[in-house]
Amino acid sequence: MENVEVINITQKPKLNYLNNGDTVSSWLLTRDHKRIAILYLISVSFFFMVGGLFAAGIRLELLTPQSDLFESGTYNKIFTAHGIIMIFLFLIPSIPATLGNFFIPLMIGAKDLAFPRINLLSWYLYMAGAGIAVWALMQGGVDTGWTFYVPYSTTFSNTYVVATGLGAFIIGFSSILTGLNFIVTIHTMRAPGMTWFRMPLFVWSHYATSLIMILATPVIAITLLLLVLERVGRVGIFDPAIGGDPILFQHLFWFYSHPAVYIMVLPGMGVISELIANFSRKRIFGYEYVAFSSIAIAVIGFLVWGHHLFVSGQSIYAGLVFSFLTLVVAIPSAVKTFNWTATLYKGSISWDTPMIYALGFLGLFLIGGLTGLFLGAAGLDIHMSDTYFVVAHFHYIMVGGQVMAYLGGIHYYWSKMTGRMYSEFWSKIAAIVTFIGFNLLFFPQFILGYLGMPRRYASYPEEMQVLNILSSAGASILGVGFAMPVFYLIFSLFYGKKAPDNLWMLPGLEWRTESPPPTENFYETPIVTWEAYEFGEESGLDFEEARKREMATI
Amino acid sequence: MATNVDTHALDHHYHPPGLQHQFEDMGQQQESASIGMWVFLAQEIMFFGGLFTSYLVFRSKYPMAFAAGSNHLDVVMGALNTLVLIVSSLTMALAVYFAQKSNRNMQVIMIVLTMIFGATFLGVKAIEYTEKYNDGLVPFTGLNRRAKDDQHNRKSLEPESQHEQSLPSPNNPGHQPEAHGDYINPRGDFQWSDTSLVAIAQQGNFLTDWEKTGYFEDGEVSAARFQDKVRLFFWIYFAMTGLHALHMVIGLVLMAWLLWKAWRGTFSAEYYSPVEISGLYWHFVDIVWIFLFPLLYLLGRHFGGTH
Amino acid sequence: MQQNSWIPLFPEQASSFAWQVDALYFYILAVTLFFGVGCAVVIFFFAVKYREREKFGRGADIHGSMPLELTWTVIPFVIAMTMFVAGAYVFYNLYRPPADTMDVYVVGKQWMWKFQHGSGQREINELHVPVGRKIKLTMTTEDVLHDVFIPAFRTKADVVPGRYTYLWFEPTKPGKYHLFCAEYCGLNHSGMGGWVYVMEPRDFDNWLAGNVSGQTPVDAGRDLFENKLGCASCHQQSDQGRGPSLAGVFGKDVRLNGGQIVKADDEYIRNSILNPQGQIVERYQPIMPTFKGQVTEEQLVGLIAYIKSLGGNSTTGTTATGSTNNAAANSATNGIAAASGGVASTNTIAPRGDRGNTNSQGSNPNAPGNRSEPTNRQR
Repeated sequence: MENVEVINITQKPKLNYLNNGDTVSSWLLTRDHKRIAILYLISVSFFFMVGGLFAAGIRLELLTPQSDLFESGTYNKIFTAHGIIMIFLFLIPSIPATLGNFFIPLMIGAKDLAFPRINLLSWYLYMAGAGIAVWALMQGGVDTGWTFYVPYSTTFSNTYVVATGLGAFIIGFSSILTGLNFIVTIHTMRAPGMTWFRMPLFVWSHYATSLIMILATPVIAITLLLLVLERVGRVGIFDPAIGGDPILFQHLFWFYSHPAVYIMVLPGMGVISELIANFSRKRIFGYEYVAFSSIAIAVIGFLVWGHHLFVSGQSIYAGLVFSFLTLVVAIPSAVKTFNWTATLYKGSISWDTPMIYALGFLGLFLIGGLTGLFLGAAGLDIHMSDTYFVVAHFHYIMVGGQVMAYLGGIHYYWSKMTGRMYSEFWSKIAAIVTFIGFNLLFFPQFILGYLGMPRRYASYPEEMQVLNILSSAGASILGVGFAMPVFYLIFSLFYGKKAPDNLWMLPGLEWRTESPPPTENFYETPIVTWEAYEFGEESGLDFEEARKREMATI
Repeated sequence: MATNVDTHALDHHYHPPGLQHQFEDMGQQQESASIGMWVFLAQEIMFFGGLFTSYLVFRSKYPMAFAAGSNHLDVVMGALNTLVLIVSSLTMALAVYFAQKSNRNMQVIMIVLTMIFGATFLGVKAIEYTEKYNDGLVPFTGLNRRAKDDQHNRKSLEPESQHEQSLPSPNNPGHQPEAHGDYINPRGDFQWSDTSLVAIAQQGNFLTDWEKTGYFEDGEVSAARFQDKVRLFFWIYFAMTGLHALHMVIGLVLMAWLLWKAWRGTFSAEYYSPVEISGLYWHFVDIVWIFLFPLLYLLGRHFGGTH
Repeated sequence: MQQNSWIPLFPEQASSFAWQVDALYFYILAVTLFFGVGCAVVIFFFAVKYREREKFGRGADIHGSMPLELTWTVIPFVIAMTMFVAGAYVFYNLYRPPADTMDVYVVGKQWMWKFQHGSGQREINELHVPVGRKIKLTMTTEDVLHDVFIPAFRTKADVVPGRYTYLWFEPTKPGKYHLFCAEYCGLNHSGMGGWVYVMEPRDFDNWLAGNVSGQTPVDAGRDLFENKLGCASCHQQSDQGRGPSLAGVFGKDVRLNGGQIVKADDEYIRNSILNPQGQIVERYQPIMPTFKGQVTEEQLVGLIAYIKSLGGNSTTGTTATGSTNNAAANSATNGIAAASGGVASTNTIAPRGDRGNTNSQGSNPNAPGNRSEPTNRQR
């Protein structure tokens, strides 16, 4: 840690977290939350690409009605790998471990997270678990589907279930430790004056996410352990012939995996709150309602897991209870969406790339969320369960929602994290290409689902081919849309214009320090006297002067 | 010490020993450590929760099998362990108290006592597990004692007159435990043959629907099928107490570290938070056992008389 | 399925409650379109109308509005409740079989469906039902989870090992409808489908009695081979299937496991169908189930005629290329029960081996040693 700053403005680059130590060990043994965030950013992006390659395999196979591209066994491994990698290695850590790690301390005016070493351990656990999963993949993979349903995974599958299960188990602890860190940090490390209701909504979302992370993840951990023990020891907990119950596995599995989807989407919602408020240059409409709806989603989200079991043989009364609760959990998301929309009203909206992603999120999350209603209505779910309708629904939320939010957040914070600016032209094109490709890819799947095309099928009836071809075409366009940022963002690292500290003149604490920030975040502990998203004088920023400066440069 | 005014805190660059760089002051650090430990414990509860759920599900499906298994756990040792843990929680709480009072010697003594009790718990558990190993009650093939002598195959299904004092082998009820080597178990399988509880439940008509099909084959009680369910009980027993014992071991390691630090005089009224949060962890491990003991050892138990 | 439209949008409605499901769908669709399009339009409109006039301008200083929050919490809640009630009503109807049903027993196994009518008639991968009768399926599975899904009837249910699950429907329109397995079950999950034939009551009675409408023996045989009996799932064009290709086999010499060579004549084909374990082709596994009791003499004639009619390369003739597949069979996955006469064996059809992947069946990388223990069903 530097106690003395040596600033020679004309020659030496300013000391910031990126150049403060450039040995390998200064990165791999760092305790700086920002460096850990960058480590995660690289790993998570890598796994996103790997998962995307598997998706390409799926869409290529589905161009034709026959199962003719891959052997059935291989296809099964491909969609399983796609699911496991995207969910455990990408979606769950994506925003919390990258943007959350980087910006939560900055947003609340802290020097770091509460437990920096645990944060680093979190990354190592992630890499260890990912390593085991990749090893299992290279040995031949798993073919059980990411849901590992028994008895197929315990007694019938001849693939690397144990290794993959253990990999996921370890990654679970990475998630738990991240959540633990966030909760403690948010409770105890807010700067003076930063009350709960002055925090950015990004922090609220991550608090809600962390609640789920710590309470739900241990359940999948023990479930995976039971799965492994059952497979190895054949005790019978899930084996009906010996007295066990395969449906017990489904209940235990979904008890985590449903809240997990909220782990995946809540951080995205947090990013969107930031983007909408900041790019409309006004506070979020109904701040408290948005904050509490995050908590409500987290809490109610624990009560709806049975909607994955409507057709499983579960009692119809249980089904009715879960259907009711599922429709209830839709309400807080609706409230958020309305509040975001209302924030746009009388805003001063700039159409920068992050805002494009945010608007894209709004549209796609609307569709994704609304289609959840179809699935929550129990009678309709009977027809649609396990079909492509469900696949389309969750991809609209996960990709159309979360990934858009992730990309929006990366673009938004690019100048802050790297001190560079990317090409606005190319980024807007990428956003539009992504939006088009995404819709072409997934919208036909709603129709396919209602027609009756089941999930996890390598072959399908001929009459469904046209829709599948449309979908695969969309996949290739989406691939281009996702690939483009890789190029122009990396390009910007070397050739991009240097960014000013507060590129868009925003009032958040993270914007009040340098781009990129110094290792200790703030030279002096900030003292907060203004509301969140304060675009007036109370913020202490001189917007008027900034405006004049901008007008003068035109 | 609380009596002196600490002017050091006024000095901008002074960092009390033990203050980590991300915190503003010790108060923040201690609060963080405390909240952190509570959050961690919440997570641990959910971790055990999956096992408790499985226990509940299977107990309600096969109460007789679970009662049979439960009756063969040694309630004396279980109760002893419960007592040991409760006392260890007392000594742990006292360790925290003495740390707060900056009393180094008493702290150390209390931590040592806590460790002794913890080790005792593990020792008793080891004895119990060994008994299970000897009796062929470990639910994994190969992990039970293999038979030495194949001339004395005395598997008897006679259920009457259990000796209350000694622990009868389930294969030879009424047989004295010293002669374990008699029964055959060449592969180290789980073995259970006493289905007497089923007959009793059948007569009293309190078999559950699952039991009415699960224990029977062709209308007769099937020892093999009953054995499967008892094996489930023991599996859950080992999983839950095993996971608990693992946490106990981790607790002992934690105590060892704490002991070392306490011996060096690290903890005082100004800085005792590690003792406090270690105490929290220890109490948690204790509480889990308080739940495990009645669920596994006491429910369904019949004291004295016949099953 | 039915319409010849270029892009089909809906499956046919062929059951008495299909209209309820579709009505619910359209209701929710209408509501979601209204709110979805409405919101999207408003969002777009605001985004355009309130575009910044100057860089770093300031938006209006609005905090919120409790009445508005209440409105857009309560109204969606009420609407969601209507969806719940409607959904619950339909759910109840779909999942509570009425009393006066015709019963069919269903057993799923990797990767085929076995149906048995109350009258004893058995079918594989096909289900014939009369129109206008209430049918109840009582289902289970021999191995892993599967699911019976009939889109045209708008209903599905998982089948679970160790217990029975139920499905009911009343077909309203004669025709041929897809049946899919909708719970992932391993290698041939996509291929585990079939057809439901809804027939007029008279035709159904005829069918039950075993009459086949005028088909040539070869056609009848082909129908049995490819659809009704599922032979084609193992005996494929290439030798990569679980069973040898039968193209051109008739009349050739066949080398059996054990070295003998027999001629593939009528008798050979017939025995292979009725007592397959007696003569296994070299390098193939003895996993073919017997069809004794499931084929009539007439059907045997059809099958033999069909196989005779197959031309093409027969590699099982004199030179057995021998597949490296399903190699070490699947004592790993299931005990192989010797097929007892009259009852189709309960073992799993060995999954198609992956090309070049020697790790497919038989060597479970995870379990300690091979599982020689018999499967669940066979304790």
